[in-house]
Amino acid sequence: MTMLRPKFFLNRRGRRGFRRGTQRQSSSESSAQNSASSAVNRIFGLLLGVALFSLPLTARAQDTDRIDAQITNTPSPTYIIRNARIVTVSGADIDNGILVIINGHIAGVGANISAPAGAQEIDARGLTIYPGMIDLGSNMGLIEVPTGAPGTIDVQELGEMNPNIAAVWSINPHSAHIAVTRVAGVTTALSLPSGAVISGQAALINLLGTSPREMAVVPEAALVIDFPRIGGGGFGGPPSITPEAMTQRERRVDELRKMLRDAEAYGRAQDAYRKDPKSTPRPVTDLKLAALVPYVRGERPVIFRAEREREIRAVVRFAEELKLKPIIIGGSEAWKTATLLKEKDVPVILDSVLNLPLHEDDAYDSLYENAAKLHAAGVRFCISTGDSGAHVRDLPFNAGMAAAFGLPRTEALKSVTLYPAQILGVADRMGSIEAGKIANLVITDGDLLEPRTNIKFLFINGRQLPLVSRHTMLNDQFKDRK
Amino acid sequence: MKTLMIIVCLIFLANVAGAQSPDRTKTRIIRNATVLTVSHGTLVNTDVLIRNGKIAAVGQNLKAPDDAQVIDATGKFVSPGIIDAHSHTMMDGSVNECTKSVTSMARTQDILNPTAIGIYRELAGGTTAALLLHGSCNAIGGLSTTVKLKWGHPAADFPIPGATPGIKFALGENPKRTNFNIPGLQPRYPATRMGVEETIRDAFARARDYKRDWDDYRAGVARDEKNLIPPRRDLELEPLVEVLEGKRFVHSHCYRADEILMLMNLADELGFKVRTLQHVLEGYKVASEIARHGAMASAFADFWGYKMEAYDAIPYDVAIMTRHGVVSSVNSDSDERARRLNIEAAKMVRYGGLTEDEALKLVTLNPAMQLGIENRVGTIDVGKDADVVVWSAHPLSVYTHVEQTFVDGELLFDRQADIARRAQLEAERKTLEAAESNKSPAQGGTPPRAPSAIRRAYTHDDDIQDGEDRRP
Amino acid sequence: MIMRNVRLVIVSLALMLLLTIVVSWQLRSAAQRHTATDTYAITNARIVTVSGPAIDRGTIVIRDGLIAAVGANVAAPPDARPIDGTGLTVYPGIIDASTTLGIPRPSPTPGAAPGGLAALFASQAAPSATSPNSTQPPGMQPEILASDLIKPGGPEIEAARNVGITSAQTAPRGNVFLGQSAVINLAGDSPQQMIVRSPVALYVGLNPLGGGQYPGSLMGVFASIRQMLLDARRYQEANEIYERNPRGLKRQNYDKSLAALQPVIAGRMPIVMQADREREIERVLDLAKEYNLQMILNGGLEADRLAARLKAANVPVLLSLNFPKRTTAASPEAEPEPLRILRERVEAPRTAGRLAAAGVRFAFQSGGMTSITDYLANAAKAIDNGLSREEALRAMTLRPAEILGVASQLGSIEVGKIANLTITRGDIFDKNRRIAYVFIDGRPLDLRPTAEIGSRGPNASGTWSLTVNLTGSGNEKQEFTAMLSLQQRAERLTGSLQGQLGSGTISAGTISESDVNFTVPITFPGPGSQTTDAIFTGSLAGNQISGTVQIVGRGAGTFTATRSTVPTSAPAPTPSPDR
Repeated sequence: MTMLRPKFFLNRRGRRGFRRGTQRQSSSESSAQNSASSAVNRIFGLLLGVALFSLPLTARAQDTDRIDAQITNTPSPTYIIRNARIVTVSGADIDNGILVIINGHIAGVGANISAPAGAQEIDARGLTIYPGMIDLGSNMGLIEVPTGAPGTIDVQELGEMNPNIAAVWSINPHSAHIAVTRVAGVTTALSLPSGAVISGQAALINLLGTSPREMAVVPEAALVIDFPRIGGGGFGGPPSITPEAMTQRERRVDELRKMLRDAEAYGRAQDAYRKDPKSTPRPVTDLKLAALVPYVRGERPVIFRAEREREIRAVVRFAEELKLKPIIIGGSEAWKTATLLKEKDVPVILDSVLNLPLHEDDAYDSLYENAAKLHAAGVRFCISTGDSGAHVRDLPFNAGMAAAFGLPRTEALKSVTLYPAQILGVADRMGSIEAGKIANLVITDGDLLEPRTNIKFLFINGRQLPLVSRHTMLNDQFKDRK
Repeated sequence: MKTLMIIVCLIFLANVAGAQSPDRTKTRIIRNATVLTVSHGTLVNTDVLIRNGKIAAVGQNLKAPDDAQVIDATGKFVSPGIIDAHSHTMMDGSVNECTKSVTSMARTQDILNPTAIGIYRELAGGTTAALLLHGSCNAIGGLSTTVKLKWGHPAADFPIPGATPGIKFALGENPKRTNFNIPGLQPRYPATRMGVEETIRDAFARARDYKRDWDDYRAGVARDEKNLIPPRRDLELEPLVEVLEGKRFVHSHCYRADEILMLMNLADELGFKVRTLQHVLEGYKVASEIARHGAMASAFADFWGYKMEAYDAIPYDVAIMTRHGVVSSVNSDSDERARRLNIEAAKMVRYGGLTEDEALKLVTLNPAMQLGIENRVGTIDVGKDADVVVWSAHPLSVYTHVEQTFVDGELLFDRQADIARRAQLEAERKTLEAAESNKSPAQGGTPPRAPSAIRRAYTHDDDIQDGEDRRP
Repeated sequence: MIMRNVRLVIVSLALMLLLTIVVSWQLRSAAQRHTATDTYAITNARIVTVSGPAIDRGTIVIRDGLIAAVGANVAAPPDARPIDGTGLTVYPGIIDASTTLGIPRPSPTPGAAPGGLAALFASQAAPSATSPNSTQPPGMQPEILASDLIKPGGPEIEAARNVGITSAQTAPRGNVFLGQSAVINLAGDSPQQMIVRSPVALYVGLNPLGGGQYPGSLMGVFASIRQMLLDARRYQEANEIYERNPRGLKRQNYDKSLAALQPVIAGRMPIVMQADREREIERVLDLAKEYNLQMILNGGLEADRLAARLKAANVPVLLSLNFPKRTTAASPEAEPEPLRILRERVEAPRTAGRLAAAGVRFAFQSGGMTSITDYLANAAKAIDNGLSREEALRAMTLRPAEILGVASQLGSIEVGKIANLTITRGDIFDKNRRIAYVFIDGRPLDLRPTAEIGSRGPNASGTWSLTVNLTGSGNEKQEFTAMLSLQQRAERLTGSLQGQLGSGTISAGTISESDVNFTVPITFPGPGSQTTDAIFTGSLAGNQISGTVQIVGRGAGTFTATRSTVPTSAPAPTPSPDR
């Protein structure tokens, strides 16, 4: 990833380059630097594209790279979209409305908006505008081919505690999954590292950009913890629930607890030193503890993987004890703990809608109905595919299935737009169509959650993207072959 | 104790009674539905009369006998039952006999498990029939079984009488065991695609010799020759002879365009037609050749990228092949996906612009044709088997769910009955758990097993090995 | 001259005659050591003959291992040892219709247990033996005979006798073609003395072979069974044609596996197939029908669901009394068990009654239960669930004898039959009954408390000769011997080691089923040698322990230990329900 290194190292030390707002500034701030490095980027991008995808893959993948590169390195256009039905999600639908995009953001939305100067016109007669969908449970960009190409897998690092590992350093912006996913209307994804107890930090990315820096909405968005459990997977059959296994699990939880408390102490020591460097001894740098500080202070959320009732209860208890801001991912049995989740206001990323029921005797629709039950109980949740990347585009149909089994349709739509934004604390920027928010939009000829619907236009960061992906290009290449 | 015995006796009797009930031959009438016939368009406000397991009549305001069960389907949709042309449901033990690269003597019909809960869940998703295949461990795998999902019936009732028998072939990464290096286990030939072709060629060469030996023997017997020792009957080669004689369908798992061409060319050389190419995710690259050879295709809707040979897969595959004249279907290769093949079919409207009728065909008439059972199922026509699904909304809509599923006119899934039964099952569980034989041992006792892995969506089942935890 | 020759001849003849008489007398004595202690008369007892009406009070006379007389008015002969049967009930000796009694478990080869993924490909059922010069791999050899493998005595046989079981059908272990069974009496100092009938039936299992060998799946198992049966048929046919006139015909290779299958395909020897669930039973019935085999069903948990078919096909059932029961400890973390399994456990005791009602012939077998005391307890449970006492008793005695072809020798109390008797205080199915006497081949047995020995499996107590073989390179001595003294109490092992590896006391010693683990500090010979821990992991079978040893800081190796003395004191007893 040679092309990425110069910018990364400069910015990483102070981590300032990734704060909110800098992204917008970077394009205007150092434009000279940008155009030079953009050319470099483009060449490297092309070379990389060829190298990665030459055999047996066609070299056409580089075409989507070219699109991304062109788009993100040009000034942000202004658009006016007319005659559309606008599903704002946060408010009432607008039957025949206008939406204006300026500088990457929704400048105005309503029935009567005047056109700004130099706006590109888009006639959306008969079409509907939705917010771009958000999937909070993927490994987008961290893994290309799960079987048979281990070089493309960057999901799981070795070691039990990796809080300072950040997915954003590993995301491949040129993964074929990116374009394939966005042309289906999913504009934003949370990419999580996995494995171990503390897997690392997840990155919230828009599916547009030639570098993770460009893509990242929140580069270190959440800490990912796979809460210690007994069993739950692996070859050779699950172990038994022996006293030893329980003790071992408790020990791992204790280690986790200790690390988080140590991080608290570290943060305190660092603050004390910063305030008064003369009289306070300088604390030794510990990258792991340093990474944990914002999370143990409740400033950023911690995502816990928990599926079964027992695990969910243990996680909620643990998070409360350590004063963390928990989010549960998985939640297969969340409906059984709905009261607790509501009481403690713990939101759930449901990535289990299409899984098979946990037990032979579970109702056939027990996982389809999960979302509806959570909604009825007032628990905050969103829906995710839980897929590593290739099938994140299936997100709307996961929501649709929940709607088929009791979740009101408007809620189903929210569960892939506004709710994930709220849960991750970015609802001020995305998740619905409101003035001021980032223009991540998908324009369809029908219900967004329906498979028969066609996507007609796509906007990410206020830029219109051609509906081109590896798949459309292969389609074009072969569909008329005699 | 006595109460417990009575309750459990009653439950047992109910189960037994359920299996023997006259439900099978009951006359039913589904009234006032939108009927998607697949063969002759969509009929609104239409009734479907089911009698003796067959579709007896289709029309408006049909007359029904007084004792017929009436299903009011106003506002609802009726379609033929979905047929899954690539399934490994309801199989005991391993789906693969991996120890040899030619295992045509293995038969899926020997290991049917009619009590697998996967069957019921698929009925709840509208699937009524399936092609049960051997896994993709071997270049030439075992014999397949074409079944109807007759939940509650013994195994013998599942195979469809008269369905043309089939055999599974596999090409590409799986039969050459690229992705399965088990330390301590000897690697098995073939290890390359070259070897895969060689394995198939060799097997058919042996089959030809076998056929000739038997033909010679029979000729000798006919000539009244004495002292002839018959050749050895070889259960591995006999199905291959059947393939050569056109009596057994070849369903071949394949991915890459080059191996697709290889098999069709080989088949042409040997004098048979490949019946279905399964997965065939690069079929779109050689759609004309497939059409010319006369093979049919059964693929995923949009599942892709999980291994290298699936990296060029595109969701337009089925549409491109369809437009080139290849009879195509969409399959599941997964207990999980088999519950929602209607949605998989619906995706084909978006990807490649198939019409809704064409899309619905991908999971009804087309797989029926591929399995050679289109005279019995696949459409709603008078005289066909009553394999019929009642949906709450259009089957191609994501918001639909199945209300009832009929197979051979028997109501095998009823959502309302399923919901009503849940409390009863909970009560039964409490009673059973209190029974003596279900109590934990007073002292000692082995530690209970930890929970097994979650069965996630977005997987495929071809590579299930011996011993993998397949508990539902 | 002639007179002297004649006298010579007469004397020689007389001598020869005398010699013959003496020799034959010796031989007769050897064969029928008609000692004064072999005749018994049990008087004033209740006698349940099974073949006829019960005798409320009567006498039974045992002589020469057979039932010499039985009846209400039979007098005890004067040479008989009297046994007062007041308050006792005499039953025919219980027959366990399907076991592996007397056939030693194969010892695992060190390092043969692979871990992880490879473990999945290891077979679960290691065959009891390998037949030399066989065309088939172990596990697929129908020519294996139980009678070749039987070893007398042993804890399992003792435990079975202690609950009143006097004979059993025993079959080798294995995968697909397990071998041919034998009916044995559970007493005797040699296999020959034990065997009542051999071969009885061919056991066929449905367990795939491991280690990447075909058949590796259930599908493959069925295919391989079919192919072998077809090959056996052809073998017969081809040999017949060849025998008639070999000229011009290619010689058929000798194949003892196919030869062994001939009685089976001719229907002269029955085939025993294991199946419990309805679909499994259907599969094996279909297979037997396809090849016209005479079948006996082994297991039969759900046999009642197919009672009509079993009756119509005249297939007897060896019904397992190893009713499924919950073996896992309660735990708040445990996942709920499927309803299917909960139902199965409740239903299992009902099968016998239903089979009886449907007229299906069945006999009870222990089904590999680890605690043989459950045999009678579960038979009693079957009676509680709809089976009549008479049918239950028959299923333990005459019915198995009939099914196994030994009804003229065993199974009921009739004059001339072998004197196998189970004598109880109290009705045999009562919870509080005690086994008072067990006679096998007309001799009473020493009964022991059933607690530890049988129910807990193999016992490691005793003095063992230990040989340790270390892997390594160079000129270092690799083989060491020592004396190992072990005491077993329940699952704990204590003891010590003495010999070429120094002296040490065992710590962390456990034994679970036949898995033996212990750690002991050892010191290698030689000056300046340090003491280090050796961790032993092995498997106990009969009087042998073998396995692997890890020496901290040195490496790994293998070990074998052979028991040189049996425990002099019984292990700590736990209360026995039978006494």
